[in-house]
Amino acid sequence: MRVRWGSFIPHLILSAFSLAILLPLVWIVRVSLTDKLTAYKIPPEIGHVGIENYIEIFSAYPFERWFLNSLFVALASTAISLPLATAMAYAFARFNTGGIFLRLGVLASQMLPPIILVLPLFTLFFTTGLMQTHLGLILAHLTISLPFLAWMLVSFFEGDSASLEEAARIDGATRWQAFILIAVPVAAPGILAAGLLGFILSWNEFLFALVLSGADTQTLPVGLASMETHAGVEIAPLAAATVLSLLPVFVLLPFLRKYLIKGLSLGALK
Amino acid sequence: MIGIGGIGNANAADRRDARFGYALSAPALTMLFLVILFPVVSALYTSLHEYTLIAPNYDTFSGFENFMLALGDQEFRHSAWLTAKFVVGVVLLEFVIGFAVALMLNKVERFKPVYYAILLCPLLMNPVIVGLIWRMFLHPNLGIVNYLLSTVGFGPVNWLGDTKIAIWTIILVDIWHQVSFMIVLLLAGLASLPKEPYEAARVDGANSFQCFIHITLPMMRTVIVVTLLIRLIFAVKTYDLIYIMTRGGPGISTDLLSYFIYRTAFVSLNIGEASAMSIILLAAILALTVYLYRYMRAIR
Repeated sequence: MRVRWGSFIPHLILSAFSLAILLPLVWIVRVSLTDKLTAYKIPPEIGHVGIENYIEIFSAYPFERWFLNSLFVALASTAISLPLATAMAYAFARFNTGGIFLRLGVLASQMLPPIILVLPLFTLFFTTGLMQTHLGLILAHLTISLPFLAWMLVSFFEGDSASLEEAARIDGATRWQAFILIAVPVAAPGILAAGLLGFILSWNEFLFALVLSGADTQTLPVGLASMETHAGVEIAPLAAATVLSLLPVFVLLPFLRKYLIKGLSLGALK
Repeated sequence: MIGIGGIGNANAADRRDARFGYALSAPALTMLFLVILFPVVSALYTSLHEYTLIAPNYDTFSGFENFMLALGDQEFRHSAWLTAKFVVGVVLLEFVIGFAVALMLNKVERFKPVYYAILLCPLLMNPVIVGLIWRMFLHPNLGIVNYLLSTVGFGPVNWLGDTKIAIWTIILVDIWHQVSFMIVLLLAGLASLPKEPYEAARVDGANSFQCFIHITLPMMRTVIVVTLLIRLIFAVKTYDLIYIMTRGGPGISTDLLSYFIYRTAFVSLNIGEASAMSIILLAAILALTVYLYRYMRAIR
């Protein structure tokens, strides 16, 4: 009896915990599939089920533009920061470039609250004409993805390819060849996963996009937030837009599982 | 051949290694200087001037006046103190809940992958979306939460409209969103603990509670500190949830620092004073980061 109770209680608590996470997500999907009237019904009823809301967000709101802006900014900022971060992380791991000073600098850059950067970026973009442009937003998102990727990738290069590189160097490979032909391919899965995490960071970013983007460059989070104020309490289309914006993240999640802990702990844990 | 050339060659190779390291880092460093260091220095410069969006120029040097204004500002002190309480509150609550769940997950075998997959869901969700979803659920008359409460006899709660309750609502939503972060990291720490000390303690007749206090906690110390510090620093940045759910209100009851600085800059249009506030925030974050760095080195 003791044994059975001992395992029953954790399962009870863990199931309750899982439901607390899952039910709100299920409910949002349900609201997104109802019509506007049913969405407000308290007590809730099943009522009508359909995909009208998913059609409406494309016709009544520029959802497509928000989505494409987010996609473009996230892809571009990741494409720029990933090679730069990879090279620097390798230098940190292999040659201890810059020592403690640079490492601490990169970590601190990552920890910087965006509100500290958004003020000077706002005035700088204002004078240089980068305000409300894609380029401006991409540069702003680099402040998040570049330090994150650099810091995270250092731990990938502290792994096992060092001896392989040494062997290649003895066989006459240059430092550059050892880096490009050995270290990078060995760390490739990690670099790719880090890139996906960097993409999600940019995809989710809100404050920079809120202050620095304009009507044509608005990203999804800003669009969703504006939808909320314009529509007042039009929750059915909002729920549909929410589900669609979550989709890329949930599609990528399974590919990231192995590297998630490293990403979240900033490389401290495996 | 490496290693035969003697000290002179080894030094030359080291020097070339170092040079190669800097060459590889140069593009990233240039970019970091451009997009981070330059803006931060520029914010520092702005904080020493009377720079407003009505008169956006550096004509009037004002020394530390903006800092004096900020530190003397009742609302700034309120925001800073509120942020400190909020951060300590969410981190402690998330830690207690997260550690309990992590310990249970570490014990169970069956369904563990299912639980784990579910708790990963909120992790990478956009805070804007989390805020929007919960705003919907917590609507006083049309929200599902108050309806569910009414079915078990609780009166309607004004989740976001009551000055006493709103900050706790934000804390609850933040827990829903971020507690998985604690669970995932603490579970990783627990899973990597060696088994032998527990077996030895069992032989000596220790119970589960004693094992937890005398083995688990001491061995988990660094992992716990790193997890807490990362979460702490990220909690200080909390902005999106406030913007979406309360805009700092009702009144100034949820006016966390990031949102207050935003208001000072873009509603009160006083970029100079907002910059001074952000520099004060920067100092606090840097101090926490140095502390975090020391513990991260201890893990590696």
